[in-house]
Amino acid sequence: MTKVYASKFYTLYQSDQDRRYYIDFGQKMVKFSFCQLLALRQKIYAVSIEDHFDSDLNKHGFEILILCNKEHLFLLNTFEVLDLMEMVKYSFSLLGISSEIPLTSS
Amino acid sequence: MKDIARQRMSIKVSTMDLLNDQIKMESHASASYLAMASWCEQNAFVQSAEFFYHQATEEREHMMKIFKFIADCGGNSLSPTVDNINHDFSNLEEVFETALDQEIEVTKSIYKILSVAKKEQDYLTENFLQWFIKEQLEEEKTFRDILDLFELMGRDGIALKFIDERIKTA
Ligand SMILES: [Fe+2]
Ligand SMILES: [Fe+2]
Repeated sequence: MTKVYASKFYTLYQSDQDRRYYIDFGQKMVKFSFCQLLALRQKIYAVSIEDHFDSDLNKHGFEILILCNKEHLFLLNTFEVLDLMEMVKYSFSLLGISSEIPLTSS
Repeated sequence: MKDIARQRMSIKVSTMDLLNDQIKMESHASASYLAMASWCEQNAFVQSAEFFYHQATEEREHMMKIFKFIADCGGNSLSPTVDNINHDFSNLEEVFETALDQEIEVTKSIYKILSVAKKEQDYLTENFLQWFIKEQLEEEKTFRDILDLFELMGRDGIALKFIDERIKTA
């Protein structure tokens, strides 16, 4: 398994053997197909993070994330949501299918 | 490390996001044309109603074209939600003017995706959008021609009847 990117709380790995991605969420390691990884990206981007700073809209600042066709459920706080967003953003650039973050070649 | 992401998907994620937004826009256009058809029905503009039913179907086809393109490229197409459909118009001319404005917004949006696709060197999306650019040119022209009829024939009751009779469904 190759490490793609590690943010503060999360690490994404790619496994060439089973052609899957793995995210280490700290308390558990979750396996993703490419499609599921894309879906994770869409879900985390759809979070309205501004609501986390408005106690009327998101009282406790938590986000429920249901992943991999309802196989996994995560409860993330504001910091974790922001960190996961960043991890996803960098990872997709490193995977070569996004230039949201311009990467200098090493 | 194998390039699994690229093997699975042949467009860039940023263009995929914009194409998903475009799906929403086409679907909104379709629903909006239905609202216009409804207004024309209520006001006895029979030809115009037919015309807008046809437009609504076309917009849905545009939506499906993009939906399938994303899927064919290995991306995730998102089924759109539609809200904020306006049903209120003060007259027939306003209906067509709103339609033209809507088409112009779609054209702008297509151009925006095109410029991102170019920047990202996403040639597949760039090529896919060519059809839409041509389509938008035709759509804008259709509505502009209809709006010219109001200049030409006037806006009183009988003129409006004549205009409605001249509205052809392609
Ligand atoms: Fe369209
Ligand atoms: Fe159109």
